[in-house]
Amino acid sequence: MKRNIILIITGLCLALWPLGGYQEGIVILMCINCIAAMGVSVLTGFTGIFTLGHAAYMALGAYTTAIMTVRYGIHWLPAVIAGGLMAVLIAWLIGIPTLKLTGDYYAIASIGLGEAIRLIIENWQSFTRGSRGFPGIDPYTTRIMAVVIFILLAILMFNLLDSRLGRELKASRDDSIAASLMGFNTPHSRMKALVISAFYCGIAGSLLGGYMCFIQPSMFDMMKSTELTAVVVFGGLGSMSGTILGSAAITLIMEYFRDISQYRMLIYGLLLVVIMVFRPEGLMGSHEIWDLLKSKEAVKKDA
Amino acid sequence: MIYLAFTFSTLIQQIINGLSLGSVYALIAVGYSLVYSILLFSNFAHGGFLVVGGYACYFLLTQLGYGVAVSMTFALFASGLTAVITERLAYKPIRERTSITLYLLIASMGVNIIIENLFVITVGGRIRALPQNTFPTGVFNLMGGVTLSASDIISLITAVIFLGLLQIFLNKTRWGLAIRAAACDIRTAGLMGVNVTFLISLVFFVAGVLAAVGGIFLSVRYSLYPQLGSITTKAFVAAVIGGLGSLPGAVVGSLILGLAEMLTAGFISSQMRDLVVYSLLVIMLLIRPAGFFGKTISEKI
Amino acid sequence: MLELSHVDMFFGGIAALHDMSFNVQKGEIVGIIGPNGAGKTTIYNIISGVYTPSAGVIYFQGSDITPLKAYQINRLGIARTFQNLRLFTRSTVLENVMTSAQNRYINSFKEDFFSGNISRTNCPDPESWYSFIESCLHIGRWKKTEKVLQFKSMKLLERVGLADRADQIAGTLPYGMQRRLEIARALALSPKLLMLDEPAAGMNPEEVFELNDLITGIHKDFDLTTLVIEHHMDLIMKICPHIICLNFGAKIAEGSSEEIQNNPEVLAAYLGTDEEEVI
Repeated sequence: MKRNIILIITGLCLALWPLGGYQEGIVILMCINCIAAMGVSVLTGFTGIFTLGHAAYMALGAYTTAIMTVRYGIHWLPAVIAGGLMAVLIAWLIGIPTLKLTGDYYAIASIGLGEAIRLIIENWQSFTRGSRGFPGIDPYTTRIMAVVIFILLAILMFNLLDSRLGRELKASRDDSIAASLMGFNTPHSRMKALVISAFYCGIAGSLLGGYMCFIQPSMFDMMKSTELTAVVVFGGLGSMSGTILGSAAITLIMEYFRDISQYRMLIYGLLLVVIMVFRPEGLMGSHEIWDLLKSKEAVKKDA
Repeated sequence: MIYLAFTFSTLIQQIINGLSLGSVYALIAVGYSLVYSILLFSNFAHGGFLVVGGYACYFLLTQLGYGVAVSMTFALFASGLTAVITERLAYKPIRERTSITLYLLIASMGVNIIIENLFVITVGGRIRALPQNTFPTGVFNLMGGVTLSASDIISLITAVIFLGLLQIFLNKTRWGLAIRAAACDIRTAGLMGVNVTFLISLVFFVAGVLAAVGGIFLSVRYSLYPQLGSITTKAFVAAVIGGLGSLPGAVVGSLILGLAEMLTAGFISSQMRDLVVYSLLVIMLLIRPAGFFGKTISEKI
Repeated sequence: MLELSHVDMFFGGIAALHDMSFNVQKGEIVGIIGPNGAGKTTIYNIISGVYTPSAGVIYFQGSDITPLKAYQINRLGIARTFQNLRLFTRSTVLENVMTSAQNRYINSFKEDFFSGNISRTNCPDPESWYSFIESCLHIGRWKKTEKVLQFKSMKLLERVGLADRADQIAGTLPYGMQRRLEIARALALSPKLLMLDEPAAGMNPEEVFELNDLITGIHKDFDLTTLVIEHHMDLIMKICPHIICLNFGAKIAEGSSEEIQNNPEVLAAYLGTDEEEVI
């Protein structure tokens, strides 16, 4: 309960605090990045599957929504949901052959499949306008709408992790053989994680389309996938609140250092190496913020 | 009849191109697979080593005016050294603290980004070409309009030479034996008195050198730019198709990939070639998840 | 209850098990002994479905479980612990037990609509199950089920003496406690057959003494059939009326503890006609 209150208050602040147009844009971007990062986090941080192709699911969401709204004039809300569902569908299809794989085999396969999806979008000129990009998307992603969706998805995500599914995913992350001998169908567990993560990334992509009003395949290349995973690693593998904090922090830092944007990727690279060498558990380890609050209270009680 | 002759010559032509491209992939994939066989993680920085090799060769040739042989030797050395330094600075501290290979994989991704962007910042993202006279540029006409360019022959021969040398090194020398032992079980090899730190450095040096050879040929075939390393993705795919950690697998996978890519370019469309590569990957994973020569690692329970 | 019938297991031409047959009755405690590498853990691995035997059939409660996958076999009511601990190291002690408690399956019988044949199926225990939507929204059965799971798991932790460690991260527990946590985690599945793999390894004599009571206690209280692999002969001889001795993947003796103690082949295997390890 305390968790939901914290999230809702954060949401209210983000949505209603008076801000200028530029800052509003940053808030929207932050929400979008956090949604996508939550998606990758559930897969990489909580299920232990390392992915380098999740930008493709963002692309699927973005294109589905863009085509539905621009070409068929459908209202943005069903279109955004359809974007998420499209990502789910494709993830499910991809998951069938690939989720038997573990470790590096999956990482390589995810690069390949992510690139393949991007290439299909790029080459299907008649439908997606190819590498020229897809212009003229309605700016449906307003600040309030982005914040509401973000907070809603965050609450759902935390609820999920705090349930039988969360324990199932963590079990197959920590020891997939033991998990299967405790009655979990581990390929199924991994599939659930992939499908959920694809949904979040799909929604993030849809919102990104509505924010930028223009999408093109090169926005969703391997660099973007790497970025998503890097943020999750930075926040802490196994901490959803860490992921959100990390993603928000990195979005802000990158905006702040906009002038030296050519160093952006260099900073990402350094960040990854330095974190792995000095603090592989990332910002939060596998703790959630409210755990820290709780433990402080427990300490007080003991005293 | 004419059409048949035309397709037949295209077929031969594309097979030649495919083998030449495949041999370059093989150089990259073998180094990557070698590292995987010892440390069991995907070294994504491999693409970075390749770029270092390419740029080192370019600058030695054009800015400092050395000969081809000298430049190439130095480039190979520079790339090998980069690999060793990377291992020492980034991987060794992680290896020593934990056995979780995921951390190594993430760090290697970071190294790759660093190397790539260091080149973007220092020399710029501009596309460069190695000087025309780096390699002989002659073209031999075979029957039916099939051409065989000198650079194809050279890349094929060089690949064979380097892979042969690697084979001899692994099979005939003391350190080769140690590496093969470490590929079975690195801890036991260490307990048997193998200097594991040196061995790992050696493996990285060899992998770096092979990547540089691949990098130089790629920059001759295409051109040189900081993101050239991303082409290693295909070498990774080749290694997975062949079976991660298996050197013959890496070579076979690379040749299959090279041929598939060039035949697609010749008969379907060159835009589809990457798609075909990735579909091959998926098909392979469906049929044989461990690749052609991959060993399924059985964990002790 | 459990029957192995002429089971062979080959690893690349090497026989880890050869022509292995034995029978376990309901309610027995069976000890499996043998020198290192005799194939004891391999037996567990093929029963629990980690490996599929190269030949032979395994029956559990009368049905053939040989072709089933590990998780399916588990759901029939076979739980095990591991020789090299395999806890969910990054979760808390309580979560470890809850993780398997949520996976309780109960047997039910299904009548085939056309043929009228009755077959055994298993479905999730309704007391420990709730749907995906309920997980997302924390509505409906979520709250009650989580409470029930937590309560049951705490009960089990009390049983193995780990209740005061419930909030600790499992990976940070001392060795002996991790072994007991593995037992609690297996019990949470409320299995019919419990297979313990070297439960006393790395424990001091006092802990082994306590373990002795724990194993016989849970065997009785939870109405189990128990298999125990152990090197501590005292423990085995004390708690197992029925002992099976293996060497080089084959059964060399089976019988009561006296019979085993006096069997010349067992003595030869242990005391060594060749360089076999003495235990």
